[in-house]
Amino acid sequence: MTNSSRRNMELIDRYLQAVRFWLPKTNRQEDVLAELGEDLRSQIEDRETELGQPLDQAEIATILKRCGSPMLVAGRLGPQRHLIGPALFPIYEFVLKMVLLWILVPVFIFILGPVNLAYSGGNWGAAILNTFGNLWSGLFIAAGIVTLVFAIIERTSAHLGAECKWDPLKLPPVRQQERKPSLLKVLCEFGFAIFGLVWLLLLPHAPFLILGPAAVFLKAGPILHQFYPAFVLLSVVSLVRSGITLARPQWSWFPLLSQLLHSVLMLIVLNFMIEAIGKSPLAFQFVVLRDAVRDSHKYIQTAAIVNISILLSVVGTWIGVSIAAVVQTWQFIRYLRKQPSGPQRPASIATQ
Amino acid sequence: MTNSTTVGLEILENLKLELRRGCLIVAVLAQLRSEQYGYTLRKALADDGLAIDEGTLYPLLRRLEAQGLLVSQWREEDKRNKRFYRLSPTGELILKQLLEEWESINQSLNRILQEASL
Repeated sequence: MTNSSRRNMELIDRYLQAVRFWLPKTNRQEDVLAELGEDLRSQIEDRETELGQPLDQAEIATILKRCGSPMLVAGRLGPQRHLIGPALFPIYEFVLKMVLLWILVPVFIFILGPVNLAYSGGNWGAAILNTFGNLWSGLFIAAGIVTLVFAIIERTSAHLGAECKWDPLKLPPVRQQERKPSLLKVLCEFGFAIFGLVWLLLLPHAPFLILGPAAVFLKAGPILHQFYPAFVLLSVVSLVRSGITLARPQWSWFPLLSQLLHSVLMLIVLNFMIEAIGKSPLAFQFVVLRDAVRDSHKYIQTAAIVNISILLSVVGTWIGVSIAAVVQTWQFIRYLRKQPSGPQRPASIATQ
Repeated sequence: MTNSTTVGLEILENLKLELRRGCLIVAVLAQLRSEQYGYTLRKALADDGLAIDEGTLYPLLRRLEAQGLLVSQWREEDKRNKRFYRLSPTGELILKQLLEEWESINQSLNRILQEASL
């Protein structure tokens, strides 16, 4: 063997060694490499016969380059591997979405967020940063665990049993196509919006409308006075929203978007209110005693209970509206995604 | 080249790949009615217009062997060890059925194309 052909063979061996590195260490590894090596040597031999002279290193390199990078070749020649196969992947995707979007994110925002806020002593910036920091690492850990569990199921083929157990008769009924809000619903919303606004406007003159019999000894406190205009504004927005929905039923995007904006506005008002209470937690007063009963111990206690009840309602409303805002955002995003070129439903479903 | 042309070419390449995949199996089985080793098989297929790279052929040969359609044997030829493949008896039977299926598909396709051109 000449020096040149020895160098050529060495180049092939180096190439095969690099391929070996990427191939899984199975009993077929040597077999695969021997076959690939034989193919490459046959190619070189053929080319040499064609040219009538031995190939130089550059020509050998061209053949190897055409064959592909060692990693790529090993990927093609080795067994096809995947962490989660096509049979399990849709379930994996569904579980991952559920865990990350519908469990983890709400838990962090609505439970851990307020806890962090309480521990940070009302420092919103620090609480938000802390919550998002925890959320970020929580998302990674949860995604890792879900992936690991599914990879184990894939390896143990535990899902194969479930594959045979499904029953066509137990499939859920066909979902109705999303419809525009019914006229009756929109009319009711409009009626309630008018009623709500009128009720709100009457409150300063007729406090019994909210306090009932307690209006004899209670009246609205400073916080309610401070935020009254904001609640009137929210009520007007709600009325306008219902009016537009009624007048423009063809604007299918409007109910979703306006509902979301309304929730955001409400959250802003509630946030300001909670912040105002946070600044002087001992002096918050939604209701105060009328002058005539100011010193009555019995009524002082009642006023304190009413104030705490309203405070709890405000916090509860904040949590409820926050959850609603997340859901409405998701609904609006889903609506937008469906709009440009949504998949065609099968005729039997589309006509439902 | 516009974006839509690139997308069109990509789709065409993918469809061609899908179309070739099934045909390649029949072609490999048909070629291996006579014994051959990897490189000569690749050359024979390329000469007949069905070029196939190493990364596609060798896994396919291993798969067909694992399914019992091929048998292989390492043997020395021209002072080099080569793995020779040939069709197994099961492979011969399957090839016959595949060719019948191929013929049937071909006839159906021709009929559909003729109807479409009317």
